[in-house]
Amino acid sequence: MECNGCEFRPELYYDAEFQIWVRIEERGELAVGMTDISQSIAGKILHVRVRRPGTLRPAGKPVATVESGKWAGPVPNLFDCTIAAANREVLEDPSLLNRQPYESWIARVQPAQPLEQALSVLLTGDAAWAGYQARCRRDGIACKRLPA
Amino acid sequence: MNHWRVIDTGLRPAAQNIALNRALLEARQAEEIPSTLRFLRFTPSALLGYHQSAEQELNLDYCREHGIAVQRRITGGGAIYFDETQIGWELYLHKRDLGTADMQRISRRICHAAATAISALGVDARFRPRNDIEVDGRKISGTGGAFDGDALMFQGTLLIEFDVEKMLRVLRIPAEKLSDKAIASARERVANLRDLLGRRPDAALIRSNMVEAFESEFGVEFGDGDLTLSEDQRYRAALREIDHPDWVGLVNRPVADMPILEAAQKFAGGLLRAAVTFDVQTQTLRQVWFTGDFFANPRRAVADLEAALRDLPLARLEQKVEWFFASRAVDMLTLTPADFVAVVRLALKQPLLASNP
Repeated sequence: MECNGCEFRPELYYDAEFQIWVRIEERGELAVGMTDISQSIAGKILHVRVRRPGTLRPAGKPVATVESGKWAGPVPNLFDCTIAAANREVLEDPSLLNRQPYESWIARVQPAQPLEQALSVLLTGDAAWAGYQARCRRDGIACKRLPA
Repeated sequence: MNHWRVIDTGLRPAAQNIALNRALLEARQAEEIPSTLRFLRFTPSALLGYHQSAEQELNLDYCREHGIAVQRRITGGGAIYFDETQIGWELYLHKRDLGTADMQRISRRICHAAATAISALGVDARFRPRNDIEVDGRKISGTGGAFDGDALMFQGTLLIEFDVEKMLRVLRIPAEKLSDKAIASARERVANLRDLLGRRPDAALIRSNMVEAFESEFGVEFGDGDLTLSEDQRYRAALREIDHPDWVGLVNRPVADMPILEAAQKFAGGLLRAAVTFDVQTQTLRQVWFTGDFFANPRRAVADLEAALRDLPLARLEQKVEWFFASRAVDMLTLTPADFVAVVRLALKQPLLASNP
């Protein structure tokens, strides 16, 4: 599924601005990555930094930071969690986020609350798709990928 | 008409200036303050980009010996030296001020306005992608940005009577870049307002030009203001975190992971030397310097090539050099694009076709 060339995956969970996607992993962990919208807005990503595994991240404090074209900023976090792991491949080649945003998770986190409670602040399925299209159109976002 | 605020926080140590960056960006994100233009100055400071490591980027012994503070910015980009000979300018904006979400377009729009302001002083300043403002091919203002949710901060320097040699000594660069000839050539690549105008420009005029240019670019009106109580509170909290070795050491990679590698090779077109800071883990060229005894016209082509090779994965070196020379006219007599590739590969001791570990 896509809107203005921006790919959407209905099985994932998203924040209301569609900056990040979240996927359920084994052992109650969640994988966090950047959406196609985010990577397109950012441009080519040169640096990624993930907080050390074991670090507590309250809602609102980023799980990671990224940098592109001299812009630095957070990968936001919407629920209390602990960093479980960073994706080494992405740390070593941040442009993977521009090539395969949905295959390239940035961090895996363990939510502090039960999984359902953490996911309850996110959007998924039809509601997410509607919001995703609205965001693309409202901000005139057209997605571009670096060639894989 | 929208009303924005202009403030001048005066001359401060780096930790305070960076803590104010954090405070104002957070306050803008929380909608506690209007969009703001801030002017600032620094006591002598070496400022790392957010994701850089001090050991890899700076000559820390020199900084210690000369009382130069080492700090980490919240913005991206490379390490710089900032002192009283420069003025800093910053915009704190909300995304809805900008009409686009595209970060490169936002940089371009702000830099165009800043270049207009600088030109109004009587020089011909232009935006040069990616993020510099130049006069006649010489850098007069470098910029970078940070974002947080719907708020963003964009900042720039403005060189008034800047000493390039001091900056070169603060940065970790190949020794030969500190020769008299190399320093002279570095001087040729930056532009100081004092030199261009033949006098020290009036700080108040610089401020009013900037205000006017941003007013006209964004269709707003600026009013003078001071820090608010909420900003001051956020500033104190940010200062506790930022004025601390843990913040400066937030990214801490050993020098061994980013060696400076050098080589020289004689070609039919002359002697070519390359020095390369190479990120071993990611196999990325962070910075390349070319020197030697060869002819190139225009002379800035070499500096432009160096800029094009920044942060380049080694695997794309050949392709990038080929694209660079194909996309502009450079007269190098018998020196060829392949010679530049060969000398970089020689510095890395990774001739083409060798497999990377």
